[in-house]
Amino acid sequence: MMYMMYFLLFGLVLGLAAVASNPSPYFAALGLVVVAGIGCGVLIWHGGSFLSLILFLIYLGGMLVVFAYSAALAAEPYPEGWGSWPVLGLMLGYLLGVVSVGMLFSSSMYDESWMVCDEFGEFYFVRGDMEGVATLYSSGGFMLAMGVWVLLVTLFVVLELTRGMSRGTLRAV
Amino acid sequence: MNPYILTILLFAMGLGTTITFASSHWLLAWMGLEINTLAILPLMCQSHHPRAVEATIKYFLTQATAAAMLLFASITNAWITGQWNLEFMSYSLPTTLVTVALALKIGLAPLHAWMPEVLQGLDLTTGLILSTWQKLAPFCLLLQINPSNTSLLLILGLASTLVGGWGGLNQNQLRKILAYSSIAHLGWMILVLQFFPSLTLLTLLMYFVMTFSLFISFKVNNSTTINSLSMSWSKTPIISSMVPFILLSLGGLPPLSGFMPKWLILQELTKQSLAPLATLAALSALLSLYFYLRISYAMTLTMSPNTLLNALPWRLPSNQHTLPLAITTSLTICLLPLTPAITALLTL
Repeated sequence: MMYMMYFLLFGLVLGLAAVASNPSPYFAALGLVVVAGIGCGVLIWHGGSFLSLILFLIYLGGMLVVFAYSAALAAEPYPEGWGSWPVLGLMLGYLLGVVSVGMLFSSSMYDESWMVCDEFGEFYFVRGDMEGVATLYSSGGFMLAMGVWVLLVTLFVVLELTRGMSRGTLRAV
Repeated sequence: MNPYILTILLFAMGLGTTITFASSHWLLAWMGLEINTLAILPLMCQSHHPRAVEATIKYFLTQATAAAMLLFASITNAWITGQWNLEFMSYSLPTTLVTVALALKIGLAPLHAWMPEVLQGLDLTTGLILSTWQKLAPFCLLLQINPSNTSLLLILGLASTLVGGWGGLNQNQLRKILAYSSIAHLGWMILVLQFFPSLTLLTLLMYFVMTFSLFISFKVNNSTTINSLSMSWSKTPIISSMVPFILLSLGGLPPLSGFMPKWLILQELTKQSLAPLATLAALSALLSLYFYLRISYAMTLTMSPNTLLNALPWRLPSNQHTLPLAITTSLTICLLPLTPAITALLTL
């Protein structure tokens, strides 16, 4: 079980280094897909299965797909990935930095376990994350409505920012 | 802009500040700050001019970074202490991170570099909203957290007053001068934050009044450089004669009202046995005074060469609404005798 956690967390750091080091949006978004997927896995191990499913659906299945489509329409003609030496060097530099900072701040890899136990003494019927979402709809109803209103305002903001296409803010493709 | 959209955006800006004011939970406070950032973005790139769009992007990136840092600090605090309350942050790492994030939000030195560039790309009204309204919500949060480290706030404050003074010295673009003036005043506010928070609020409100007068005076003259201010004596002679007083009030000279916050802050710092710091801050105000004097020199004290120099040329009456300018100019000049009343009101 701990090996699974190690695998997930190492993949997370690798994916994050990929996102940071790639100048082209295709490969950076690919790294982001990997990071989101692994992050969902880590979230499941920590007990938030419902939130992990929601994250997978909305983030990966919604937002990243839309980003992939818009990147395919408008991004660069000569993308650079790990095949080119500068990008690979940057990626290895980031990994080295993360590992050295990690070794600076942690005692050892084998002192503490990376697996998580439940803090409750017995099995609970309601998990923490589902309880939280239910609270969002009941006690937090006013703030949920506020969040909905702000989403609508976000729509207006985006439409206003991109009004006029190439005569306005957007780059003429 | 479509008036309905303008209404929605201004309402959202009010909503964001109100949410942050009303919040005691870090998530809610963060939400209010994000709403504020979101709502001002279309206002900033209204003209869709490349310079305005560049200013909008720079503003968005810095504010998003600051908000992400704020969220990171509050989640770290929740992880360590198990609660999300604003006032009960007792560990030094989250508190320091929150202070630095809020310093980036309002533009304190050394996190001030975005401020002159962003203000330069905006028109004067939007710049006014950025300099005044957008500072309310972060200050509300700064006033509520108890600082972990005494010297962090003092370093931020002193650096801001010095950078605000030195940075504005070589500028002839009015919006950049206003940005550096804002940085300097924010430095004064932060200096006294941990000793006497009501003085921070007093300085903030006085700064709002003074900078409102200055922004609107420049807007009435429709000028964004010092050179274009030089003919304002013939267009608006009364405003031209009042602006030196506004500028000297911003510089903090008695008997104008700008002296009030500086005086009280110096007194409080001296009482906390920080007299050398108070001296340094007072000396840094001299730097700002130089460029305020330069603007008043170009605008009022000298007449630049032009075709007509003797009499006021015949001009059409303007339709500008100058009542707010009149009110705030009077407040900027005449408020100093009310210092005891104002101090009593703010320490309620």
